[in-house]
Amino acid sequence: MDRRGFLKFAAGGTVGLVASPIIWNTLYDAVYWTQNWGWIPRLKKGASEYLPTVSKLCPSGTGFLVRTVAGTPVRTIGDGNNPVTHGAMTALAAAEAELRVSPARLKTPLRRSSDGAYVAITWSEAEMLLKEKLAAAGSLVAAVSGDPTSSINEVLSSMLNQLGSSDFYFMPDEEMPAAAAWEAMGGQGRLGYDIEHSDCILAAGAPVLESWGVVAANRSAFNRTHPVAGEASQKLIYAGAVQNNTAAGADLWLPVRPGTEMTLLLGVANLLIKAGKAGFAAGLQNFASFVSAYTPEKVSGITGVPAARLEEAAKALASAKKPLVIAGSALGSGGSAGPVMAAVAVNMLLGSVNREGGLVDLPFPVSVVSHATEYRETIRKRFVDYTQSVAAGRTKAPAFLLIHAANPLYSLPADSGMKETLDKAGFSVAVASFMSETCEACDLVLPAALGMEAFDDVQTPYGSGRVTYALARPVAKPFADARSAGELYIALAQELKLDTGVKDMPELLYKHAFALGAPFRSMMEEGRVHPASTSLPASPLFYNWEAIRAAASAKAAEGDLQVAPVVVLGMGTAQTAIPPFATKVVTDYQLKGKLSVVQLNGATAAKLKVQSGDHIRLVAGNNVEITAVVAVFEGILPDTVSLVAGLGHTAFDEFSRGKGANVLALTSVSREPGTGLPVWGLAGVKAVKA
Amino acid sequence: MSSEVKEFKIRWGMVIDIDKCTGCGACMVACQAENNVAPAVDGSNKLRSLNWLTVFRLSNHKPFPDHEVAYLPRPCMQCGKPSCVSVCPVIATDKREEGGIVSQIPPRCIGCRYCMASCPYHARYFNWYDPKWPGDLAQALTPDVSTRMRGVVEKCSFCHHRFMKAQEAAVAKGQDPMNLPDGAYITACTEACPNGAITFGDLNNPTHKVHELIKSPYAFRLLERLGTDPQVYYISKREWVRREGDNYLEHEKTGEATKQG
Amino acid sequence: MEERNNTTTPASAAKKSCCGWGAFVVGLVVALILGWWVLPNLMKETKRQPIAFSHVEHVQKQGMTCEQCHFVRADGSFSGAPTTAQCAECHFTILGSDPEEARFVREYVQTGREIKSEWLIYQKQPDNVFFSHALHFGPLAELHGPKETAEFCSKCHLNVAETDIPPVYRENRLSGYSENTMLMWGCERCHAEHMAMGNTNASNACFTCHK
Repeated sequence: MDRRGFLKFAAGGTVGLVASPIIWNTLYDAVYWTQNWGWIPRLKKGASEYLPTVSKLCPSGTGFLVRTVAGTPVRTIGDGNNPVTHGAMTALAAAEAELRVSPARLKTPLRRSSDGAYVAITWSEAEMLLKEKLAAAGSLVAAVSGDPTSSINEVLSSMLNQLGSSDFYFMPDEEMPAAAAWEAMGGQGRLGYDIEHSDCILAAGAPVLESWGVVAANRSAFNRTHPVAGEASQKLIYAGAVQNNTAAGADLWLPVRPGTEMTLLLGVANLLIKAGKAGFAAGLQNFASFVSAYTPEKVSGITGVPAARLEEAAKALASAKKPLVIAGSALGSGGSAGPVMAAVAVNMLLGSVNREGGLVDLPFPVSVVSHATEYRETIRKRFVDYTQSVAAGRTKAPAFLLIHAANPLYSLPADSGMKETLDKAGFSVAVASFMSETCEACDLVLPAALGMEAFDDVQTPYGSGRVTYALARPVAKPFADARSAGELYIALAQELKLDTGVKDMPELLYKHAFALGAPFRSMMEEGRVHPASTSLPASPLFYNWEAIRAAASAKAAEGDLQVAPVVVLGMGTAQTAIPPFATKVVTDYQLKGKLSVVQLNGATAAKLKVQSGDHIRLVAGNNVEITAVVAVFEGILPDTVSLVAGLGHTAFDEFSRGKGANVLALTSVSREPGTGLPVWGLAGVKAVKA
Repeated sequence: MSSEVKEFKIRWGMVIDIDKCTGCGACMVACQAENNVAPAVDGSNKLRSLNWLTVFRLSNHKPFPDHEVAYLPRPCMQCGKPSCVSVCPVIATDKREEGGIVSQIPPRCIGCRYCMASCPYHARYFNWYDPKWPGDLAQALTPDVSTRMRGVVEKCSFCHHRFMKAQEAAVAKGQDPMNLPDGAYITACTEACPNGAITFGDLNNPTHKVHELIKSPYAFRLLERLGTDPQVYYISKREWVRREGDNYLEHEKTGEATKQG
Repeated sequence: MEERNNTTTPASAAKKSCCGWGAFVVGLVVALILGWWVLPNLMKETKRQPIAFSHVEHVQKQGMTCEQCHFVRADGSFSGAPTTAQCAECHFTILGSDPEEARFVREYVQTGREIKSEWLIYQKQPDNVFFSHALHFGPLAELHGPKETAEFCSKCHLNVAETDIPPVYRENRLSGYSENTMLMWGCERCHAEHMAMGNTNASNACFTCHK
């Protein structure tokens, strides 16, 4: 065929193709290709279910409905039927369905090999190893739990007690100093707060609308007492160094220097006594004469709160029908007992103890596992005392150390002795859901199921005003190879021939429900939550003015600037780090790229000769230094710098790792005068323009 | 394309009480999860991260200690006279469906970003990159909202899929899908707000709470004087917060512009 | 150039051109065969349903209604193909003599394998389409019996009510969609009509169908 013939052939072919449907159909199909890009995930279809359970990741035990599609959780939605949280969510609980499948989620048991790298092992290998190491450790066993509301703790403490060890601890939390304070003032039960029914709340240092206590319940109370566009039936006064989220919701903000909340409360006490408020109890006279030195002028000088605002707050409390004073720490751990003692004393003056909308004396959770340590005993024990003692060699290092649902390497200050304790421990095990800093330092890492994947429970969290009991139910399959930590410990106890008195988690939960008279069946089947109506006879409280005086002698942190940490739940907890879906909630005044942002007011900025956007170096007393970006913000005291907590992770996933600095690194452990509590809420820093 | 305004029997609207918002961000998390907005590794880069709903911090611009702070959640305003719709060359965005929600169909979008330039509220976001759900995160995608691709604009839809589902559920129960009771259809952010700062409903329906709330003397809308007629209202008892909602001259008072539009 | 000109005598040129038109015809025929038959078939992959389900057996012989398998859930969403568990409500054990049924019981019911995730959907829509069966079921109440129902449903779906074996599923290799997939103009046949099927709600605004 010659050229001309070929061309004719091609022309014929072209005419033929044009006259056939293939080209047009293919063009038509382009509509599919433009809408479906193969590398972008497709959606799954299937029936939706909304299953009620409670969050075990969010410290307030938020009640939510897990929405599953064809069995896979895709959303968590506030459960309006939950009698504790009334459908209120937190930024953390809202991200839980995504956290379940986040890149940081542990998928399989990991064992550290001789070259330091982790090797995936099977569960049966892991269980063998646990049994062997635990049997070899004798009584040199220690365990710490970061989840004080779970009855899994009882299984752990029971095992340790039977092995001859008393080293079961809770991670330091908000309740420890409060329990010490309540006991010092004569409290016999557990300190509770009836926030819901109060008409005027003074929250000193306690960010009640963001991270303190049962946040979701606090928020729901705030919602109900503050109708949209209507008159609020509750006044909220917040005393804190920074205008944080709680201050945004408060009717009055008292700018108080970090660590001077106790002075502020003693000043309030003085004003209240002057106004004739004198709830009678033993020690009142001594207390009154002690606080008479706390005049508004003096208090204003120490705390930074303008005297007029202090008087306004005292007036609001004095004229309220059901005032309530709450003290707490911004960080949520490492706080002092002193402010809580002062808060209890102010409540006593106001007659706000054991009445609706006041402080309440709640019964402690009771253990149902044989040989378990009671909650009220465990809450007294101080983990940091133990780790510092091990680090200093005063206490024998544990041969077997178990860390349950906690990330102490991240959430304790550098001088807490945690790192040394882990180094010295013969064998360390982390049972966790996410690859945390602590997991990375342990010999064995076991993937734990989340609350929505296994049986667990939420016993009255600290900050609640009544006894509540909620079950976490498995509404979804555990992710990858994760397993229920509770079942793991119970099986381990059985292997070691230890007597826990329960054969599995449902039985343990049943025993708790039975003890509280809670309807176990409807709790299991429908996810009902039980609000118990237990009450205690009023404790014989007294004004323990000596303990107050001792605590009030605590020294302020040294340094040119005081650090005011801000905790936001959108940043996750030490166990979860920043949830993938919460990175956008992190604001540009908290983090910029890889650097933390430090907020300070215009006067401080002028003094340091910096402006917004400048880099600044903060050097703490322990010589830790961090570089941060300056953001000028007027909602903060002079000579105070604010940093958000929850940054500076070195583990987890790309959503958390290598972002900003851990504010805890700037803090050091000291002891509170009187109570001897290890405290680290404060840090003083020097600042240099970088 | 057309600039004439369609009248709707139902006008979905939102009332946000700024005095109740404490800026926790639960709404933003819920919004992303509900609408399959991909997570951002560096969320602190506000120029590149994509949000349908953003919470802004407001300041009264006074020095310490008289400073005050407030938080303003900003969804799409679903304007009655949307400036984005009239500029879209391909009708990827429109306001025609009953309910008055401004629709955005990402596969139809050609990525010219004219709508972004025209939106006075910065409510529209561009997919500069392919969305990514690292690891197993895509397992948590909801079946309700299609994933988008690189090169298209997207925005808040008032969780429009929930409107469709509410209609579907109403039909299944034998009720009128065009007369939903208050609360039968709410957005994911409304549902997630622990403080109850967001109220959602039909602005035209007297049985819905929002119908009354927008008549509050404290109610205002953002940049009202532009005449975009937003379907999102804000409420604050604080004069300085209301002033933040628009550009006021010193002698001007808030509340006077409301009648316009 | 010289040489080539020389070879082109008028006679041979006429012969060539005649032969050339032959080439055109050959090209045309080849292209038509390719374009009408070979390529379209190459583009499509023929698939069979995992089980040769018989609607005739279930509906006509056993007297089942459509809603026993295809129903609107309480929340208004539609359950199209039944799950293994739904099938197992009857087929917990082998009921008849059909080898396909025996295979279904052995391979799915007894092992817990999910038939719904393997069933090929002829009419599957992309993710950005929201289609509510419930909102389209208005006229259903006035229909009587499976036959009328099938006619109504087959306005969009393949009519499978009277098939003894499921129709062949042909998937476009490039797009991954079934050849029976309804495209937007198919929806617009009714949605652009203001009074389609007596319904005034049939708007064709984007958000009526897209998500």
